[in-house]
Amino acid sequence: MNRQHTHNKRRMSSKALVSAVVLSTLFVSACSSNNGQSNPGGAAEGGNGERVTLKIEVFDRGNTPTGMTIQDNYMTRYVQESFGDPNNIDVEFVPVPRSEEIEKLNVLMSSGSNVPDIVFTYDPNTFNRYASQGGLTDVGPLLDEHAPNLKAFLGDDVLEYGKFEGTQFSIPAKRSNTGKYSSFIRQDWLDALGMPVPTTTDELYETLKAFKEQDPGQTGGQVIPFGMTIASAQYETMLWSFIEPLSDEERFTLTQQLGSNDYPTLLPGFKEGLAFMNKLYNEGLISKDFGLDEDKKKFYEDISSGKTGFFSEDDVNLYYENGTYDILKANEANANVLPIDVFTNSEGKYVKPKYAPNGMYIMIPKSSQRSVEAMKYLEWMASDDHLFHIQNGVEGENFTLEDGIPVALENPSQEAIDRMFISGDMAIISNGKQLGSEEDNMKARKLQFPTRYQEDVALAQEIANRDTVEMVVTGRPIEAQTKYATTLQDKFNELIVKSTMASPDQFDTVFENMLNDYMTNGGQAILDERTQLYAELNG
Amino acid sequence: MKEQTASRWFDMTTVIILTVTTLLCLAPFVHLIAISLSSAGPITSGKVSLIPVDFTMEAYAKVFSDASMIRSMFFTIALTLLFTVMCMLMTIILGYPLSRKKLKGRKTMMLIVVITMFFSGGIIPEYILVRNLGMLDSIWALVLPGLINPFYLIIMVSFFNNIPESLEESAEIDGSSHFRTLISIMLPLSLPVLATLSLFYAVGRWNGFQDTLMYITSPELYPLQLKLYQMVQNSMITDLLKNEGGQRNMLLVPESLKAASVIFATVPILLVYPWLQRFFVNGVMLGAVKG
Amino acid sequence: MSFKSYFTRYWQLYALVVLPLAYFLIFRYGPMYGIQIAFKDFNFFQGILGSQWIGFDAFREVFGMRDFYLALRNTLMLNFLDLLVSFPAPLILAILLYEMKIVWFKRLSQTVLYIPHFISWVIIGGIVYQVFGTQSGMINNLITSIGFEAIPFLTSKNEWLVTYLLVGVWQSAGWGTIIYLAALTGINKELFEAASIDGAGRLKRIWHITLPGLKSTIVILLIINLGNMISIGFDRPYVIGNLAVREYSDVLSTFVYRVGLQSGQYTMATVVGLFQAVVGMIFVLGANYTSKKLTDESIL
Repeated sequence: MNRQHTHNKRRMSSKALVSAVVLSTLFVSACSSNNGQSNPGGAAEGGNGERVTLKIEVFDRGNTPTGMTIQDNYMTRYVQESFGDPNNIDVEFVPVPRSEEIEKLNVLMSSGSNVPDIVFTYDPNTFNRYASQGGLTDVGPLLDEHAPNLKAFLGDDVLEYGKFEGTQFSIPAKRSNTGKYSSFIRQDWLDALGMPVPTTTDELYETLKAFKEQDPGQTGGQVIPFGMTIASAQYETMLWSFIEPLSDEERFTLTQQLGSNDYPTLLPGFKEGLAFMNKLYNEGLISKDFGLDEDKKKFYEDISSGKTGFFSEDDVNLYYENGTYDILKANEANANVLPIDVFTNSEGKYVKPKYAPNGMYIMIPKSSQRSVEAMKYLEWMASDDHLFHIQNGVEGENFTLEDGIPVALENPSQEAIDRMFISGDMAIISNGKQLGSEEDNMKARKLQFPTRYQEDVALAQEIANRDTVEMVVTGRPIEAQTKYATTLQDKFNELIVKSTMASPDQFDTVFENMLNDYMTNGGQAILDERTQLYAELNG
Repeated sequence: MKEQTASRWFDMTTVIILTVTTLLCLAPFVHLIAISLSSAGPITSGKVSLIPVDFTMEAYAKVFSDASMIRSMFFTIALTLLFTVMCMLMTIILGYPLSRKKLKGRKTMMLIVVITMFFSGGIIPEYILVRNLGMLDSIWALVLPGLINPFYLIIMVSFFNNIPESLEESAEIDGSSHFRTLISIMLPLSLPVLATLSLFYAVGRWNGFQDTLMYITSPELYPLQLKLYQMVQNSMITDLLKNEGGQRNMLLVPESLKAASVIFATVPILLVYPWLQRFFVNGVMLGAVKG
Repeated sequence: MSFKSYFTRYWQLYALVVLPLAYFLIFRYGPMYGIQIAFKDFNFFQGILGSQWIGFDAFREVFGMRDFYLALRNTLMLNFLDLLVSFPAPLILAILLYEMKIVWFKRLSQTVLYIPHFISWVIIGGIVYQVFGTQSGMINNLITSIGFEAIPFLTSKNEWLVTYLLVGVWQSAGWGTIIYLAALTGINKELFEAASIDGAGRLKRIWHITLPGLKSTIVILLIINLGNMISIGFDRPYVIGNLAVREYSDVLSTFVYRVGLQSGQYTMATVVGLFQAVVGMIFVLGANYTSKKLTDESIL
């Protein structure tokens, strides 16, 4: 009797509990779906003349100076006063952590709440995904109606990058300078050895060997002739110089665009490039640990402590105040780093990749009820001197004008410095300073650097823009690229590391295995899709 | 005689092993302290290991003069205290009944708990739930979703289980209610495990930041670890800086400042355990049984 | 016992569990409808409920990927090695601390030992690189300075495994001792006194008194560890792992991060999560059952 009862009771309780679970699940999910649909933009309805709120995404990099917040600082106040108040708009900035940008955006989108009216990303895959899932506003008509200045500023070339299957689903930012890389060599080491500046890949190889054997920097055997990492800036210049001249068809079908870069994995000559890298590695000319150095920390450590003789890098990274070059000079007063172009291709040219003319993708979610205001904001930024003000600050406090080009003040006040912390992330319609022409842009960029390095910066910028190969425009998104990009970027880096670190007699096997792995994980799908698209377009 | 020598050998070995492991565990912390007290040049050139080079207190001056850092510290302390107290309360009031073997439905309830160790809805429905409860951008979003850690609950149940049932029975015969038994017998006998689980909850909250990335947008509600994470992550994406048209020197946080912030954010929570050790008293239970 | 008398006797306990169970239902079970993402072609803008059903398509895709099996194998392998190496480490440390007679030293090392738990993995990663690097890591500097060949601790598979395990022990052992030290306070000291009168050796005493005193804690932790054999934290393999040892360092968590989250494919991520949950549940129930038979200790 007792037992029977206990048994029943237990069954009862577990049953009750299970149904409670189900109920609460239903309840909560019903709740959420409701909420998600009834109030998608999270913004209140606003009639004519009523004050409305415009929400704009802003990157939070955790570098906000004391006394300001990411939502309330000089720049946000400027936006509110100059744009918001005259238009009867409350501008609200929605911070998104830079490192979790895409994840947070995904969650906001799929929960249908708190989605800002203006969002952006650097990741073309995310843009393509959002566009293909039907979540974005077609901004074409809005551009025509509300944004003449913005259209003129960006130009048709740049705007083309913001299209998805022919529809303008995003507004791409305009890049002020498309040069990427330069190479650098220790001139003082060359002088010590009595060697000339190398001008071809073969000469460079001899120079590296001399660095290794004779250790002109007296590093006590710790010399790293060629500074290398697994970041693209260090290896791309070298690898692309091995790529053979291509027909248009080859360029179109064999290139693999992963993220915002073209990858040479399948291009003729790529294997030879890796074979060269393998040789350098096995002869001890590049660091044994290059495959571990993803954030370039060790790379900079070796340069600034005077162990590295030669390297490729983003054109201007060395030259910041108290930056790598300054520290190197503090360690070795005679150190002299010369920007050079050295990796020659089969035609004797210094080919290297460049940036696409666009920066990030600015999008207005379909759920936004403030798409007109959002477009007006972008138009405001492109009009008058607003962009200039955001990028350069206050004349006399942050910069002075010389021939119409802003020159950063040598010793700005702390207040003036602090107001600029968010400058780059607020000027969303542009990557880098815009002064009307690429030439002036580069001049302005040079003038941001300490006077002692301006000549070198100019040279490095010139090298970065010499013999560049443009990215291939496919005109239509390649679905396989969107799907497999992150996996393949990883596989590509693995291919480089493994092939380079293989012993010379193993190189062929390792390369083939890794390439095979790359192909089966999406490389083949991309190749097929591009081949088919090429046939269609030229059929 | 022979056994005494053996015992001495044992003591010696213990001291040696513990000394070595202690030093190994201390080293990285000392390294961080050294970095926090060095100048940028030597740090970037990789010259700082365990002793500061070009000694400077600049980084600490900056940390302590940063009002948002100090505010963040106070917020983190308040958050951790609130979280720990609420978690312990919830864990105790579930853990005690589940440790009573005669309670019907006990196994089902335990199963309900254990299932959540493995199955979860994922980030999107969790975010929707927090939003629907109106907790976005509030301290509750960082407290309520994590109230009971199933693993800690199991530990608590297992410790309660080890308390002799005779104690409880004698209390029951005395006419004591379950509430009274819990408060006057179970809890005093479980101080070590209560201290341990409080520490676990507190440290988990103190070090956690993933939820803040999703739920918090107001800077006043940034815990220290979120600020630290952003500082550290920033340097991981230097490659993007030029791509993004930013000025590197504006965006990069100096290594020494990072290290000083890490020390600043770690020392307070490190002090909790030495303080809690007072509750790790041997033989509490024994005395009680006798009494 | 009649229902009424049972209830009068135990209603207080039921009253206590109401709030915690409500917590579990709302915060833990409430979001579980998200699991259906595994069977849907997830669209960000249509949300979980609005997305199209696709049945088991995503399972087929995941189970057809070579990298999935590699990640699965590595997850099991690393967890198994951890069980052999990292699981006993805190137990040994705790016993050593318990046997330590110098009180100040005991307190000091107890506090210092758990410091590594507080250092974030990003920072640990940087330090690991400085210590174990082949070109200029501290250990290899020492090795090459006395004329030996540098050891690729991080870039060669088997050496990497050792590094991975050692860093894991270093990072977690001190923290793990805390729970054992708490359990050790429950041991009746009179047993020790009786044992030393018997003339039992130190090791014998540990074996016959200390370890049995820790038995239930050890078993509980072991059951939970076995349940987690198929899930693995993200940070440690991600930070210590690198491209050169990808065959060993790519685990389910890093696989999901790369293939699922980074690429916005939440369906794939949920599929793997669901697979891990089901297998984990089976493991933990199995371990629980076995342990109940063998040791009479269990969590359920």
